[in-house]
Amino acid sequence: MKSTGAFGLPSSEQLQQYRIWDSYFTPAHAHPGSDGSSRLFADVERSLPAIRKAHMEKLCYFAHVGIGTTTDPDFEKLVASRPDLVLKPLQQWPDLLMGMIQLNPHDVAASLQALDRWLKDGPMKGVYFPGGGPAALTCTHPNFRPLVERVAALGGVIMQHTWFKTGGKQGPGESTPSELAELAAQYSQQKFLCAHAGGEWQRGIRAIRRVPNVLVETSGFDATAGFIEMAVRELGAERIVFGSHLPSRSLGTELTKITAAEISEHDRRKILGENFRNLLR
Amino acid sequence: MKRRELLNLAVAAGATTALPHSVSVRADEPVTPPVLPALIDTNVSLFQWPFRRLPLDQPELLVRKLRSLGVTQAWAGSFEAVLHRDMSAVNQRLADTCLRYPELLPIGSVNPKLPDWQHDLRQCVSRFHMPGIRLYPNYHGYTLNEPVVQQLLEQASAASCLVQIAASMEDTRTQHPMLQVSDVDLTPLTELVPRIPQARVQILNYRPRLPASAALAATAGICFDTARVDSTDGVPALVRNSPPGRVLFGTHAPFLIPEAALIRVHESDQLDATELKAVYAGNAQQLIKRSHA
Repeated sequence: MKSTGAFGLPSSEQLQQYRIWDSYFTPAHAHPGSDGSSRLFADVERSLPAIRKAHMEKLCYFAHVGIGTTTDPDFEKLVASRPDLVLKPLQQWPDLLMGMIQLNPHDVAASLQALDRWLKDGPMKGVYFPGGGPAALTCTHPNFRPLVERVAALGGVIMQHTWFKTGGKQGPGESTPSELAELAAQYSQQKFLCAHAGGEWQRGIRAIRRVPNVLVETSGFDATAGFIEMAVRELGAERIVFGSHLPSRSLGTELTKITAAEISEHDRRKILGENFRNLLR
Repeated sequence: MKRRELLNLAVAAGATTALPHSVSVRADEPVTPPVLPALIDTNVSLFQWPFRRLPLDQPELLVRKLRSLGVTQAWAGSFEAVLHRDMSAVNQRLADTCLRYPELLPIGSVNPKLPDWQHDLRQCVSRFHMPGIRLYPNYHGYTLNEPVVQQLLEQASAASCLVQIAASMEDTRTQHPMLQVSDVDLTPLTELVPRIPQARVQILNYRPRLPASAALAATAGICFDTARVDSTDGVPALVRNSPPGRVLFGTHAPFLIPEAALIRVHESDQLDATELKAVYAGNAQQLIKRSHA
């Protein structure tokens, strides 16, 4: 039973009980700053009031590690030679942050090396395949095979950006939930996160419904009512993982998709943290 | 905003119970409304969204949810107006339904592309005593620089009627593939509204984007709602970048989850108690007062 809280939020006690783990934290998502971290630090600071209000325990962001995931060659060179810059946010907020690395499926060799450096040896928990920018590539491309196989061998989580956009893809490298389902069906032991549930979630949920190793992530679109209710009905709560998309989206938009949904408290706890913790084990 | 300030707001209004929160709402479940400062939602809609059922698309469920959140007044349009062409019947149903709920202030709809739209405007003002009307230019197929928009705005303003313009109803990326509409181009308003000094225009469901948002904010007579103003500090940024009184709380419920907009106003702790009161209710009170004048 939810108890009283402030202006649309559940109570502090309730929020703490949820043990919220955010799978999709996006500070300076496209570029962490030319010095390697300043823009990212500023965005984390900007998000802290909301993070504290929600009593979030952990947030997972997506690090650039110098393999061509930004359009800034100077930054790429800098961070490739200075792994300490990649680690800085984790050192600054060791109890709050965890990371996955952004992969560049256009450069399989560099991505495989990065997997060894950051996933095999730690501290990163998985990988992120972007939907835009220089590293975007549709996930049915053959280049994904060796990368997925390597991530699977290392026990990492795969987060794939997805959207079903009315009118069609806005970039050639975008992936849809249907394409992710096609990829994931070939690796039944590997878990995949379908970021944004495809945005147009009525189609997104249907597209991945028959592929049980795909879970939906909840952020990245307006707080459209009925999303979580449909996702729980069609997929089950164990296949839904909360994401905040802070700070470019808001706590209000993203948290209320789950806290205001007409679902059980048991399911709410799973979605807000338990499922993601299970994935990372 | 600090929690202490939130509590001060409640205390200032004589609150003795907890602040609003997210609650489950069922038709058979009594909801005790918390005692709160005034909270005015300037952007809700009644009835069914044409493209899917929504959890709160029955008026009694929506009202119960709004009450549970402490909303003391909600300016209600009708989803029927988006596609229906018998606008008289649409407005009649809206007026009848709002009579059953003291919190609901009916905002009728006018489609200036329909023959004799003036009749609908007259009905809204004189027969139903509505304080405002709502326009859906993208779904009704016109742009804001068409002469009929100026005529409509002049007539509505002469009747002291607020005009709400829905800049969008849904993210263009998620619209039904057989019914796609672009967001409304609002730039003509920066020239149109100053030509009608008494005009009061509220833009709904707008995502501020510079430089267009700055030009709109600089235009006297134009205000905004908060329903689709996203990012953790998006609402404070809009407040700070607009003259006083221009940002009004609105949720776009039941299409969007009403708690989302409620939290977005305060989540970054950037607005002080005075600013929060203005956004949550004061600015709306001022606007509706001027529109009724």
